[in-house]
Amino acid sequence: MGTLLQQIINGLSLGSVYALIAVGYSLVYSILLFSNFAHGSFLVIGGYSCYFALKTLGMNIWLAGGLSLIAAGVSAILTERLAYKPIRERTNVTLYLLIASMGMSIVIENIFVVTVGGRFRALPPVIPTDPVNLFGLATTSAFDLISLVVAVICLGGLQLFLTRTKWGLAIRAAAYNLRIAGLMGVNVSRLISLVFFVAGVLAAVGGIFLSVRYTLYPQLGGITIKAFVAAVIGGLGSLPGAVVGSLILGLAEMLTAGFISSQLRDLVVFSLLVITLLFRPTGLFGKSVGEKI
Amino acid sequence: MALLDVKNLSVSYGAIRALSDVSIAVEEREIVSVIGANGAGKSTLMNAVMGMVKRDRGEVYLEGKLLAERSFQVVAQGIALSPEGRKVFAPLTVYENLLMGAFPRSDRNKIAEDMEWVYTLFPRLRERTGQYAGTLSGGEQQMLAIARALMARPRVLLLDEPSLGLAPIIIKEIFKELRRINEEGVTILLVEQNARQALLLSHRAYVLQTGRLILSGTSKELLANPEVEAAYLGGKPATH
Repeated sequence: MGTLLQQIINGLSLGSVYALIAVGYSLVYSILLFSNFAHGSFLVIGGYSCYFALKTLGMNIWLAGGLSLIAAGVSAILTERLAYKPIRERTNVTLYLLIASMGMSIVIENIFVVTVGGRFRALPPVIPTDPVNLFGLATTSAFDLISLVVAVICLGGLQLFLTRTKWGLAIRAAAYNLRIAGLMGVNVSRLISLVFFVAGVLAAVGGIFLSVRYTLYPQLGGITIKAFVAAVIGGLGSLPGAVVGSLILGLAEMLTAGFISSQLRDLVVFSLLVITLLFRPTGLFGKSVGEKI
Repeated sequence: MALLDVKNLSVSYGAIRALSDVSIAVEEREIVSVIGANGAGKSTLMNAVMGMVKRDRGEVYLEGKLLAERSFQVVAQGIALSPEGRKVFAPLTVYENLLMGAFPRSDRNKIAEDMEWVYTLFPRLRERTGQYAGTLSGGEQQMLAIARALMARPRVLLLDEPSLGLAPIIIKEIFKELRRINEEGVTILLVEQNARQALLLSHRAYVLQTGRLILSGTSKELLANPEVEAAYLGGKPATH
């Protein structure tokens, strides 16, 4: 019983970090209708910014965290401006955007390999990982609880932003029809930049927690594939879908690791993807569109 | 000087010329309609004014000032469009759709007043304020699209085929409301395939055929014009 509860908490914690990544991913998809495979790079940029702010600049975690969120958000905007904007202004074919995003992902990963090297780095112990006893029922780590709480706060903040602010409303309108949102007087370029900024910031939060959990290396962004799977299971373009999909995935991974074998966790993840696509191709909350890229 | 002045506008889609040298003037408080068959370039005209498609040649002036090229600037300058096929934001509520219409504005109190104003014009929207726009009937969606455009408090309201796909009785209701909106001081430029309804509503009209203006005059003159009668009114009932 104790183990089960512990694995559930770990699963929710991991899932909530996936959710931070998946939500940004879905947000970009809902506006521009392509899967941004450079999304993982934002996470890596966030992780490295935090690492160097802590190690080299000697900042505390709050400053370093804030700096890395901004760094990732701005990189996301620059990625869009440099690689996607020139394409989307010339064509409506989103496949080109998808290919450009794969290219950007390779470029950014290799910038890190060349400049800081490919070795694994451990973030200084800025986030406590002490065991925490939960009312005598189970033992979990402070890290899992903190990442869960931070993720919930970020996702709640995103929800408030989308439902309570003028630009949030514009993003929801644009997710339905970008062109018509422009017709309402929304500066579409600015809106897209804002969406990428938000996606980058959320990815960086996830990136910091993931680099504490697994160490930091230039290919850490590859973990986005999990968030991508979560977003697809939940339904691409749907934010509640991305969150639910991520939690399912996190739970499935941790329960598999805890009760069967940790080597089987990826097998379970991708089986979930296959099963979802077989029985509900649009995902749990997805809107059906002609073609998904 | 006309309030809205479209001068020698030309638009192409690749090699296909959609509009050739179109000039239209709309005076303050006027209703002007542009009638023409499917594919005559009516929507292209609207979209070119709004900056939704690139203009090859020609300019648009609002109160003598050159209109910007990008849509969000055009809206801020004082032109709003209720697009063809309504295009309301289906997953947003009626209220949120109206708020989107007021996006460029920051005068909160005035926005609330205008919200009241469009709810008075279209009481059915008030009843459905919290409902998702996608659940509205076609007529209600058309009303919402018009109300949404009005929320920008435009100097000129552009309407692209407000009768499209609606039952005759609903069309009548909407056109009656358009007249009332005009009487409250809103200048309207309307493009319509439903020529009779448009001519009955407007003060002046232009006839657009394969991208060129072939006729213009007061709506009364055009209604009585045998050519127009044959090509666009055809003795058919007022609706399609």
